[in-house]
Amino acid sequence: MANMESPIIKLTSVSKVYPPDHRALDDVNLEVEKGEFIFLTGPSGSGKTTLLRLLYCADRPTSGDIWIDGVDLASLSRGQIPFLRRKIGVVFQDFKLLTNRTIFDNVAITLEVLGLGRQQIEKMVRDILAVVGLEEREDAFPLELSGGEQQRVAIARAVVNRPPIILADEPTGNLDRLRTDEVIELMEELNARGATILFATHDERLFTNTHRRVIQLKNGKLENGL
Amino acid sequence: MISTILMKRALSDLRLRAGSHIMTGLVVCLTMLILSFFLLVYYNARAFVDRFGSELGIIVFLKTDTPSNKIPEIYQRISRLDGIQGVNYVSPEEAFKRLERYLGEEKEILQGVSPTFIPPSFEIAMDRAVFNLEHIKRLAAELKRWPEVDKVQYGQDWINRLQFFVSVAGKVVVMGGLLLLVSAAFVVSNTIKLTVYARQEELEILRLVGATNGFIETPFLIEAFLQGLGGSLTAVVVLYGVYRYLLQAVSASQLFRGVGLAFLPFSYVSVLIAASVGLCVIGTAFAMRRFLRL
Repeated sequence: MANMESPIIKLTSVSKVYPPDHRALDDVNLEVEKGEFIFLTGPSGSGKTTLLRLLYCADRPTSGDIWIDGVDLASLSRGQIPFLRRKIGVVFQDFKLLTNRTIFDNVAITLEVLGLGRQQIEKMVRDILAVVGLEEREDAFPLELSGGEQQRVAIARAVVNRPPIILADEPTGNLDRLRTDEVIELMEELNARGATILFATHDERLFTNTHRRVIQLKNGKLENGL
Repeated sequence: MISTILMKRALSDLRLRAGSHIMTGLVVCLTMLILSFFLLVYYNARAFVDRFGSELGIIVFLKTDTPSNKIPEIYQRISRLDGIQGVNYVSPEEAFKRLERYLGEEKEILQGVSPTFIPPSFEIAMDRAVFNLEHIKRLAAELKRWPEVDKVQYGQDWINRLQFFVSVAGKVVVMGGLLLLVSAAFVVSNTIKLTVYARQEELEILRLVGATNGFIETPFLIEAFLQGLGGSLTAVVVLYGVYRYLLQAVSASQLFRGVGLAFLPFSYVSVLIAASVGLCVIGTAFAMRRFLRL
């Protein structure tokens, strides 16, 4: 059940150990309020991706509890996980676009899963493509676009159904400075529209002079989590 | 709406991966063609044995000392038996005349022989509508128990041999069919696994955006259904062509004149198509199971 007073994301004493004994996350405590934009930083291998994977249920924690929008993830059955994922948009460094589908189809996939009507899907996809500045490229294929454009398609796919939470895992890792700034601007805009954003990056330039909360993972341990 | 989306996804994948789907359909088609051909041969062999048996009828020889005043009563008793179309009494004199006709110019060897050495008999024609070999066997056994009856003939040796042949053929069809179905299920299941691996990235994205297992699995099952249906329908059409060809060949041959051929009845064809569709759908569901558990 959603609870307006509780944080939209909450982790309590979460640890993740991969066999035989690699401790990817160690006793992590984190609270993210609704509408926050947080930078999750740390060097490669510090556990950023592991933390995000736990949040969108690609993995289960070894110990500890995770709540998303008031729902205890441990209480979810396998059949309920897809419905939780519809509340979370995920953006990856490698875009994860289907190269044999058009830009339109790549974005529409999120709405097809929801079972929306064709007209509604067309409208919502065109609206979000306009937001990310790709309304003229809906019939193009991903490999015909630049890296920055591909990342914008991936963001459009993640947010087209207006999820309350956006998880971004090094989304600017493959982009040059100009494209990186475009992605950050887009994220700022989505945050202004109400989305809670957890933005994992090791690019210090992005958060050095930010007014946003910055939390840091080091060897699986989180600093400034609460 | 969701069903339209799932159907569209299935058709889109059939188009995108036409090559591998056609190969799977061909495997299904060939399997069903081989199976249905054996079934056609078996079906016609069984029909032939039934028809052959019914044309034989039963001959009941009475004891030579049977009083002639009992003949009408026996005639009535035989007529009342189940599955009898007609009864014809053949007196010793009539049988003697037939023998003479059969011997032709050699009939002189019968000179001085009394017709009474041939026992009186009844020729029983079976009702084809209710005829089956088990029935004729039961009837013969019952007649044999009557005190006036000396011997009952119905070409049992021939019928037994043919029945044995048909029963062996039936077992071969069933076992061969099962083996074919299992091998086809294996091929279909592996083809689907390869398709799943080829589409792993797409399925991963579907999971990411909140697709349920049903949403992911259903297009694969629709594709399997269409492959099973298309493969088996093609097999039935080809089999019908083979049947027409054989029918012409049999009709033109002196040797097989009167044998006759029939195509598989609708019920057999329906079962074949259902088996093909079931095979593909179950094979696919099995192949998907491991992936969907992730």
